[in-house]
Amino acid sequence: MAKLSVRSSSNNDKKSKKKKKSSGPKALTMKVSAPKANPFESIWSRRKFDVLGKKRKGEERRIGLARSLAIEKRKKTLLKEYQQSRKSTEFSDKRIGEWDEELGEFDKAILRSQRELKRKLNKSSKYNLSDGEEDDYFGTQNLGALPANDDFEDEIIPDDDDDAAAAETKKGAHRDAPYQQKGRLFEGEENKCKSKKEVMDEVIAKSKFFKAQKAKDKEENEQLVEELDKKFESLVQSEALLSLTGSGNSNALKVLVQKSISNEHLKKDTLPAAGKTENFNQEKPDAFDRLVKEMAMEIRARPSDRTKTPEEIAQDERERLELLEEERQKRMLAPDNSSDEEDDSENSSVGKQKYISGDDLGDSFTLDDERSHKKGWVDEILGRKDADGTESEDDDSAEASDSSQDDVDGDSDDESEEDDSTRGVKHSLKDWEQSDDDILDTNSEEDDEASKGEKEQDEDHPKEKVNHKSPKKAYKSTIAKSSKSDGISEDTKKLDRGTKRQSKPELPYIIDAPESFDQFLSLLADCSNSDIILIIGRIRASNAIQLTEKNLEKMQKFYGILLQYFAVSANKKPLNVELLNLLFKTLMEMSMEIPFYAATCARTRISHTHQQFCVQNKNPENSLWPSSKTLILLRLWSMIFPCSDYNHVVITPAILLMCEYLMRCPIVTGRDIAIGAFLCSLLLYVSRQSSKFCPEAINFLQTLLAAAVSRPSSSQNSQQICHLVDLQALGQLLRIQNPTNEVTPLNFFLIMDLTEDSSVFSSDNFRAGLLSTVTETLDGFVNIYGHLKSFPEIFLPISTILHELAKQENMPVELQDKFRKVAKAIEAKTEEHYIGREPLRMRKQKAVPIKLLNPKFEENFVRGRDYDPDRERAERRKMQKLLKRETKGAARELRKDNHFLAEVKARDKALQEEEKAEKYKKARAFLEAQEHAFKSGQLGNGRKRRK
Amino acid sequence: MVRPFAAKGKKRKKAEKYDRDEDGGESTGPAKKPLVDNEPDEEPPKEDFQELEGIPIVPEDPNSANNAGVIFVLERASLEVAKVGKNYQLLNSDDHSNFLRRNNRNPGDYRPDILHQALLAIFDSRIAKAGRLKVVYVKTEKGLLIEIKPYVRLPRTQKRFYGVMLQLLQKLSITAAGKREKLFRVIKNPVAQYLPANSHKMGFSHSSDKLVKMRNYLDGVKDDVDLVFVVGAMAHGKIETDYTDDLLAISEYPLSASCCIADICKDLAEKWNVG
Repeated sequence: MAKLSVRSSSNNDKKSKKKKKSSGPKALTMKVSAPKANPFESIWSRRKFDVLGKKRKGEERRIGLARSLAIEKRKKTLLKEYQQSRKSTEFSDKRIGEWDEELGEFDKAILRSQRELKRKLNKSSKYNLSDGEEDDYFGTQNLGALPANDDFEDEIIPDDDDDAAAAETKKGAHRDAPYQQKGRLFEGEENKCKSKKEVMDEVIAKSKFFKAQKAKDKEENEQLVEELDKKFESLVQSEALLSLTGSGNSNALKVLVQKSISNEHLKKDTLPAAGKTENFNQEKPDAFDRLVKEMAMEIRARPSDRTKTPEEIAQDERERLELLEEERQKRMLAPDNSSDEEDDSENSSVGKQKYISGDDLGDSFTLDDERSHKKGWVDEILGRKDADGTESEDDDSAEASDSSQDDVDGDSDDESEEDDSTRGVKHSLKDWEQSDDDILDTNSEEDDEASKGEKEQDEDHPKEKVNHKSPKKAYKSTIAKSSKSDGISEDTKKLDRGTKRQSKPELPYIIDAPESFDQFLSLLADCSNSDIILIIGRIRASNAIQLTEKNLEKMQKFYGILLQYFAVSANKKPLNVELLNLLFKTLMEMSMEIPFYAATCARTRISHTHQQFCVQNKNPENSLWPSSKTLILLRLWSMIFPCSDYNHVVITPAILLMCEYLMRCPIVTGRDIAIGAFLCSLLLYVSRQSSKFCPEAINFLQTLLAAAVSRPSSSQNSQQICHLVDLQALGQLLRIQNPTNEVTPLNFFLIMDLTEDSSVFSSDNFRAGLLSTVTETLDGFVNIYGHLKSFPEIFLPISTILHELAKQENMPVELQDKFRKVAKAIEAKTEEHYIGREPLRMRKQKAVPIKLLNPKFEENFVRGRDYDPDRERAERRKMQKLLKRETKGAARELRKDNHFLAEVKARDKALQEEEKAEKYKKARAFLEAQEHAFKSGQLGNGRKRRK
Repeated sequence: MVRPFAAKGKKRKKAEKYDRDEDGGESTGPAKKPLVDNEPDEEPPKEDFQELEGIPIVPEDPNSANNAGVIFVLERASLEVAKVGKNYQLLNSDDHSNFLRRNNRNPGDYRPDILHQALLAIFDSRIAKAGRLKVVYVKTEKGLLIEIKPYVRLPRTQKRFYGVMLQLLQKLSITAAGKREKLFRVIKNPVAQYLPANSHKMGFSHSSDKLVKMRNYLDGVKDDVDLVFVVGAMAHGKIETDYTDDLLAISEYPLSASCCIADICKDLAEKWNVG
C-alpha cells in the first residue's frame, strides 16, 4: 500500500508539472501532500572531490522508487496487453476527456463544449440549419432566450465579443462568429481607404516641412557668413595679415572691412528685407574676389640659388681666370693714355657708385661697369700698397688662388711691371713651343706613360743621373745650392730671355697643361716655392677635368709630370722640405681627381723600384737602403691611398717593398739604422688602420734593441733574431758609450741630408734619439697588435730585452722610463692574453639534451567530447556508443518485462491453483457431507438443522 | 535489474590493480628511454674516428658509472578545477577572483602559476637536459598526486599550461602527441611508495632552523644515492611531510619555489659536472 501511495503521488507530481496552467489549486494540494522520501529507498554515489560550482543534482538515486515506478508502468502497458492478448474484442472509451484521470466532471464538460463549438465553426457547417437538439444541449437556462435571438441579431451583439465571453454567456455564440469575421473584413478595407488620404496628407506635410527647412538653412547660412565676417575683421585688425600682404592691399582690406562693417549695420537695420540682403550678397563677393585675386598674384617665396655642381664650380673658376687673363692681355697691349682714360671713366663711375665694396668684385654685375670700376679700385689699392712693398703680397697669392683678394693683389703686381712681364710671358710661351719641339722624343714617351710606367721611369732616371747635373753635384758637394737656379735653369736660361731682365716674371692666369717634363721645368724656372704651387694650381684650374673630356688626358699627363717633378725634388740634397710639403697637398688633391691613373703611376713606380732593388741586391757592395726619393714617395702613397684596405693595388705592394727592405738590407752605417727606423714607423702608420702584421718591422726593431744591449745574453737568442746582422758590429753603432741625459728626437730630413760618414752618426746623442724613436715605434706596434692571439709570443722576448736595456748603466733616465713603460705595456697585454686563453679541449662537442615529448591536449577541453580530428569517425563512434547503450537498455527492459510477465503469470497460476483447490475442497466437503448424511441416514433433516 | 552495489566497487578495484601494474612497468621505462635515444647520437662520431686515428672520441665521463638521479616533489600545489559558468576551468586568482569570493574562498590561495614556474625551473635546468632528472611528483592541496615524466616539453605559456592541467585533472592522464605514452598521470597516494629506497630526501622550508649552503650540503651527500627534493609550490604556509629525512633552509630570505629550485639545480649541476 505504501508503494502505491508513493507511486500515485509521484505520478501526480509529474502531471502537475506538465499541466501547470490548467489546474492550479489541485496541483498545489498534490504538492503539499507529497510524502518524504524513504531514506532506505534511495542510493547516493559518493563524491571524491568537491568540485566548486558543480550542481549536486542527479547524484542521488532512489532505487526503490525507480523500481516501483517501472512496475507500475508495466502494469499499465504490458499487463494490459497481456490481458488483451487472448481476447477477440476490445472496449475502448473514446469519450472526450475520459482518458485523463485528473480532469473533473466540470472540466470534461468544458472540453466537450469547446469541441462542439469548433465543429460548428467549420465552414462546411456554416449554412446548416441548427436543429433543436443542439440548442437543448446548451442547457436549460438558454431555452428562454432562443426566440429572441432571431429578432435582435444585429443590434444586440457587440463587436468585441470573444470566445471566452461566448463560453461564459453561451448565447448565440455560433451566430456571432460570421459577424466578427465580417467586422474584421471591414477593418481591412478601412485601412486601405485611410492610406490614400494619408498619402495626400503626407505629401502636404512634407512640402511644408521642406519649406520650413529651407528657411531655416538660409538663416543658418546668414549667421555663418556673419560670423566669418567678424572673424575676418578681427584678423585684419590683428595685423597678422598685414605682414603677409603688401601695404597696398592692406588699405584695400581695411576698406573692405569697413564696408562690410557698414554693411553689417545696414543689415542689422534691414534684416527683414530680403531683397536688400540679396543686394549685399551680390556686392560683397566683388570686393572680396578682387582681394583674393590680388593675393593669388602676389609672389609667395623666392627660389633660392641652386647649389652648384662641381662641374659648374670648375667652369666658374675657369671663367674667372679667363677674365683675368683677358684683362691682363688688354693691359699689356693698351697704351698708357688708355689707362688714363679708363681712370677718367673710373673716376666718373666712382662718382656714381661709391658704396660698393671691394668684395663685390667677382659678383655678376654687368661686365662694362664692373671692369671699369674694378680697375679704378685696383689702382687705388696699388697706390696704397706700393708703399708697403710687394713681397708680403706674394706670399698671400702663393697660399691659395681661391680668394679674389689675392688675385687682386696679383693684379697689382702685374700692373706694376706691366711692360716687362708681357714680353716675358710671350717669349716664355714661345719657349715652351720650342722646347716642345726639342724634346719631342721624350714627349712621346711621356704620352705612353699611362700605359707603360717603366718607360717613364727610364726617362726619369737618366734625367736624374745624366741630364741633370744637380743631383750628382749634390752628392759630391755638400754646398747647398738653390734647386731651381742651378739645375733646371741651366737649360732654360738660354731660352728664357725675359727672365734676365726682370727679377720676377708675371704669372699667366691661364696655363695649358705642359706636355713634357722639360716644358714643365721651364715653366717653373726661377720660381719660388709659392709661385710653383700657384702655377700648378692655375694649371689645374684652367684644365680642370670637369670642363671637358680632353682635360682628363691632359691632367693625367700633367699628373705624371708632377709626380716626376716631386720625385726629382725629393732626391735633391738638401731637401726642399717646404716645397715637398706643398707638392704633397697638390698631389693628394689630384690623386683624388684621377684615382685610377694615380694608382697605375704608383704601381709602376713601385714595381720599378723593386726591380732595381733586386738588381742591386746581387752586388753586396751597394748600399741597398732606399733613397730619400723612394722613402718620400712611399710616404706620399701611404697618405694618398687608403691604408685600411685588406688588399690595395698600391699599398699592398708598397708594404711588401718596405718589408723587403727591412729584411734584406744589411745594416752597415748609422744612416741605415735611421732609414730602417723610418721604414718601421712608416709601416706602423700604414698598418695602424688595417692592423696587418709586419713581422719584418718587429724583427728589425727587436734586432736593434738586442744590439743595443751591451752584453749579448746568448748566442741562441741572437741567432733567433736575425741572421743577416752581425750583432756585435751593430752594437758598436747603437751602444751608448758615455752617460748622456738629454734625448733629442731625430730629424729625419736632416739625417737624410747627411753623408754616411758624418760624425753625427757616431755621437751618443744620435744613438739615444734613435733608441727613443725605435721604442716609440715599438710602442705603436704594441698598441696595434694588442689583439693578436700570438701577442705574448711575439712581444715577450722584446720586453726582456727592454728590461735589460733599462738596466744599462749609461742609459739616460728618460730612455729608461720609456723602456720600462713599453715593457710594462707588453707585459700587461700579455697577461690579458694569458687570462683569455683557454686550455685546449678535446673534441669540442655540444652536449645533446634529451629528447622531449609534447603533451597532447586541447585548448578548451570539455569532458565527454570526442576530440578526434576525423569528424566522421567521431560521429560513428558516438553512434555506436549510443547504439550500444540503447541495446543494453532495450535488453534490460526486455528482461524486466519478462520478469514482470512471469510474475503475473505466476500470480495467475497461483490464483488458479487456489481456485481449483478451493473448488476441490468445496466439492469434497459436499461429498463428505453427503456421505455423512448417507451414512447417518438423516436425509434432508440434518441439513435443515444445520442451517 | 540494477547492478548490485558491491559489484561496482569490486570492478573499480580491479582497474586500479591494472593501473599499478602498468605503473611498475613504466617506472623502468623512462630510465631506458633516454639511453635508447642516445644511441643514434653516438654513431656519427665513429665515422670521425676513422679519419682521426689515435684520438679518443669521447672523453671518459667520471660520473658515468653512477647515474644517480634527482627527483622533485612539489607539495601543496594549488590545482583545482571548478565549473565556472558552463565550463570547467582551472582556478587561478587572476581570472576567477570574483567566483572564488562568491564561494567563500581566498583567491590568494589559488596560484597554479607558482607550479608552472617551478616546473619550468625544473625542466629547463641543465640536469633535466642532461637526463639526470628521474621524475617529478606534484601533490595538490586536494591531495591528488600527479606524476610527470622527465622528458615532457612543458607548455611555456601559462594559458597552455592551465589547459594541460585542466585536461589532466579531468581525464587523469595526458599522453604524448603522436604516442600512447603517458606524460602526466594521476597516481595513487602516498608519494613515499614511489621514491627509491636508498634516496636522500630533503624538504625545503624557510621556517627551518637548519640553514645550509646547498653546495656544501650536497658535497656531504654520497654520490650514488638518488636525491629527492621536496619543495612547496604554494603561496603561503610550509610543507608538512613525514617522509623527508631533512628539512633545510637554503637562504635567510623566503625564496620563491622557482628560485629555490633554480638554485638547487645549479648547485647540483656543478656537483655532477653537468653541461
